[in-house]
Amino acid sequence: MSLPVHPILAAGGGPVIPNFGGASKCVVENHQFCMSWFLHNFNTVFGPRLVQHIVLTAIAVGVGMVIAFTAAIIAYKENWFETPFSLLAAFLYGIPAIALFELLVQLTGINVFTAEIGLVSYTLLILFRNTLTGLRGVSDATIEAARAMGLSSRQRLIRVEIPIAVPAIMAGIRIAAVTTISLATVAAYIGAGGLGEPIFEAIQTGFKTEFIAAGALAIALAIVVDGLLVLLERLVTPWRRRTLQGA
Amino acid sequence: MVNRLISITEGDITIDGRSVRQLELTQLRRGIGYVFQQIGLFPHMTIESNIGSVPRLLGWSKSRIRERARELLELVGLDPEGDLRRYPGEFSGGQQQRIGVARAMAADPSIMLMDEPFGAIDPIARERLQNDFLRLHRQVRKTVIFVTHDIDEAIKMGDKIAIMRDGRLIQLATSDQLLASPADEFVASFVGEDRGLKRLRVRMLRDIELDPPSANATPAPQVRDTTSLHYALSRMLTEGVNRLDVIDEEQRHVGSARLQTIMDSIAPASAPKPGESHTAAA
Repeated sequence: MSLPVHPILAAGGGPVIPNFGGASKCVVENHQFCMSWFLHNFNTVFGPRLVQHIVLTAIAVGVGMVIAFTAAIIAYKENWFETPFSLLAAFLYGIPAIALFELLVQLTGINVFTAEIGLVSYTLLILFRNTLTGLRGVSDATIEAARAMGLSSRQRLIRVEIPIAVPAIMAGIRIAAVTTISLATVAAYIGAGGLGEPIFEAIQTGFKTEFIAAGALAIALAIVVDGLLVLLERLVTPWRRRTLQGA
Repeated sequence: MVNRLISITEGDITIDGRSVRQLELTQLRRGIGYVFQQIGLFPHMTIESNIGSVPRLLGWSKSRIRERARELLELVGLDPEGDLRRYPGEFSGGQQQRIGVARAMAADPSIMLMDEPFGAIDPIARERLQNDFLRLHRQVRKTVIFVTHDIDEAIKMGDKIAIMRDGRLIQLATSDQLLASPADEFVASFVGEDRGLKRLRVRMLRDIELDPPSANATPAPQVRDTTSLHYALSRMLTEGVNRLDVIDEEQRHVGSARLQTIMDSIAPASAPKPGESHTAAA
């Protein structure tokens, strides 16, 4: 048979692959991964989705950090606040992503804003816990020294307690960022765009290359972001690099 | 309580006639250097920033803080150039406490509060820190309140010693007075059964009455007049002599100390001196 197989005809239970006329053999036969197709479509399909994905994640972690950080400071000063906020954050964290998005769509519609509400709510627990743990980890001796110097409680917070909590806070941001990158693919379900879009599309069509490419990009993004955050952490905490062993 | 880390429930503490209860809290604390057992250096700050903590609050310029940090590192026996930019985690406990002392003195407070400052430091480093701090104290002349559970440290460091028990002041005296006449059983047992020997440590040869130098006496081992009686006695024991020639800074022979002189000098003043007749005969 030398006739090109029409995808629709070939779909006897098999994959449905859009054929725009110039499909290569690799694409037509739906091989595991077609590099040429990927490269050819990078600028139109994957590049913009990757950027969307980064923006989606950055906004979610940024907004989540502002909320969680504020809550952690309040909980650090007023102990009673810890339990209610923890419960709320754990509750949100516990809702399955698809269910949460479905629920939010009823309230705010199918758009990026809805997706961000969902993504932010997933970052809260991790960021809150880590920030609070970091603040509480400041040694009593350090706090006593700061008090004895006449630092007000506000000065102590800004000059001593928060800087010492930075490693714990950064650890939280790293986990939150990686988790959000992964979760954000689900947000495409409610029209948020990002790398989830080609993944959902590929699930519909069964086109392996698109599926693997988008998935691999999401994984690569998570690894790169995590690495960059490690570098950032080292940059802002020079005091942790050089210490005596066993001190 | 002095810097109101613990609030006062009863009574009062005054500094230069002013009650610490009336002073503004931050003002009060910035005027008192505080050194304590756990040291509490700020791990995220360089040594320079640690020392500059209080000066920064007082609005000193950067260059003045650096200058002061250098000066203080030198004073406490650390490297004023290399150590300035390092972090507390890079130093040993003893070195950290030196930095703690430097930090407490940064804004030149007239009062230093030292709460068991050398308690968590190994005995050899502690001994060195004590000696260094004594030397430092002679240079800077400050009022130091030094809290310790170690009576030997108190005797060594203190001009005046206040013995506290269950929150009550039992005795306030110089170390010599304390060892010579403890106020009660508790103080006596606290200063130790060997208080007679300890007294030998706090007095120097120049504090006691020496025999005038005599030309026809046989030469004896020479010791400085600033030698403690403890060391002098030890010299006599090891060299098997009962007389030492005492010399001053300019190597002049200022007198002789005999075993009996040392014994007499620490004998209770009220009791009859048992060796008196013997002394006269000798």
